[in-house]
Amino acid sequence: MTESNIQANTVLDARGLLCPMPVVKTAKAIKELEPGQVLKLIATDRGSIADIPAWAQTTGNELLEQHEEGDDLVFFVRKAQEA
Amino acid sequence: MTEKLVIMVTHGPGEPELATLPFVMAAAGVASDIDVVMGFQGAGCELVKKGVAETVKVPELTPIDDLLPMIQELGGKLLVCWPSLKSRGLAEEDLVEGAEIVAAARLVAEATSATSSLVY
Repeated sequence: MTESNIQANTVLDARGLLCPMPVVKTAKAIKELEPGQVLKLIATDRGSIADIPAWAQTTGNELLEQHEEGDDLVFFVRKAQEA
Repeated sequence: MTEKLVIMVTHGPGEPELATLPFVMAAAGVASDIDVVMGFQGAGCELVKKGVAETVKVPELTPIDDLLPMIQELGGKLLVCWPSLKSRGLAEEDLVEGAEIVAAARLVAEATSATSSLVY
């Protein structure tokens, strides 16, 4: 798939990290954002394909898009509004 | 209500995969905004002895010594069973920082107030 048009406020490179570190790093990175801001995550651990959607559902953050670019798994997550 | 996950760890460095997986689950739990309590009993206690986690390596699993700081930073608790420690000649000063010595009733209280629990 091609490059997304979604604008990210921050980019997290989690390539090479094994399960569950892409999720852990995403959780930490999203805490630094304001509600509504978008994180772009790039991972290579294929567990992330299932893990990031599950994490987003559990935490209430919104997975806007996920796609693959070669070996890279790319995710765009929008931080939830404060509960 | 915040969800709470209790993970009992009963395998030690002699079973590296079973020793590492509860830390993987705990890290995923705290990352998901879940309150995580890890309870160490039996050989599991050896994993929170200073210097031991660094020695446990499993192919394709994130090592315990990478996971543990994340678990603690994101609020996970480490509770260690006193009788299991004592039978191994271990005391509080032998444990990693932040590990709390408890006994059965506290672990029961944690488990019964959890929304879910896992036993390794």
